[in-house]
Amino acid sequence: MKLRILLADDHEIVRRGLRSLLEKREGWEVCGEANDGREAIEKALELKPDVVIVDIGMPKLNGLDATRQLLELDPHFKVIVLTITDSDQVIREALDAGARGFVLKSDAARDLVAAVEALQNKRMFFTPRVNDLVLAGFLEKGQAVSRTEVPRLPTLTAREREITQLLAEGNSSKEVACLLNLSTKTVETHRSNIMRKLSFHSIRDLVVYAIKNNLIQIELPPPPPPKAPTGPAVA
Amino acid sequence: MTVRILLVDDHPIVRQGLKTLLEGRDGWEVIGEASDGAEAVEKARYLNPDVMVLDVTMPRMNGLEACRLLRRQAPQLEILFVTQHDSPQMMREAMNAGARGYVVKSNAARDLLAAVEAVSQHRAFTALNGRDAAELH
Repeated sequence: MKLRILLADDHEIVRRGLRSLLEKREGWEVCGEANDGREAIEKALELKPDVVIVDIGMPKLNGLDATRQLLELDPHFKVIVLTITDSDQVIREALDAGARGFVLKSDAARDLVAAVEALQNKRMFFTPRVNDLVLAGFLEKGQAVSRTEVPRLPTLTAREREITQLLAEGNSSKEVACLLNLSTKTVETHRSNIMRKLSFHSIRDLVVYAIKNNLIQIELPPPPPPKAPTGPAVA
Repeated sequence: MTVRILLVDDHPIVRQGLKTLLEGRDGWEVIGEASDGAEAVEKARYLNPDVMVLDVTMPRMNGLEACRLLRRQAPQLEILFVTQHDSPQMMREAMNAGARGYVVKSNAARDLLAAVEAVSQHRAFTALNGRDAAELH
């Protein structure tokens, strides 16, 4: 019986690359693809894959929140998260969300097959850095303790996190309401609660928060080239 | 005549996806890959591609720097940026660096083939999200 895999990444080019890699393995089949976290949950519930591979940085609903929600709906799903960064915070959140595998996108060509194999054999798969953190006592009795202490922020509910991501992506309250099938008034209420809980005064604060907490992932542009000197130095 | 393409991106998975898409076209051949700008410049020297598909943000040497160097080293080479940066400003910078084309990674599956076709024929091709692809003669 084939091992069925669902791929969730907002870049079709990346999904093509992942599919090409995974389908080289005899007995493995990519049974579906999703473009965002919301679609990932719908397709997982519909297709019941053996393994779900989710990119963390996806629009509408990021991979970490999609993982959390999916496992709340059905804890039997096995999820591997793909990420462009392996910061302490991302690792902690991926583990807290219930992911059984953690692979850096830059190393996916090397590690993803091993990760899927591990999950197929009922084992977990994490990058060496994650293992180091676990061994160093990163996870202790269900509490996350980081070497570089991350200040505890007030906790947002799952719905508030969803709305924070959508607002940080540039959606208006009306657009968020449409996407989540809520009334604009309800979204506005959530928005006020979020701003109050986090003591934010502007949408800019929200965007910075979303980036820092991996609700959205961005790639920074390269620095501009150094300017050529315009003339001889004057003594 | 075969269009010879060099793929440059620091993520092997992205290069694999691009390759799968490009090699579906008759007459196009991916002749090599590079994972940063410095390697791209070196490989362009001895592989002599017709088209380079180039990412912007890469370690060691980014795509913009590589493009500027290649403009001097290999003026016949056409460069197409395929990047996360969905920004008119970045696109202008890329075109000023000497690129012939610029597409956004999230739409690469839609735009890449038309973009490579255009630049291989020395026509400019640019496409950002929410804006129609523009082929400029």
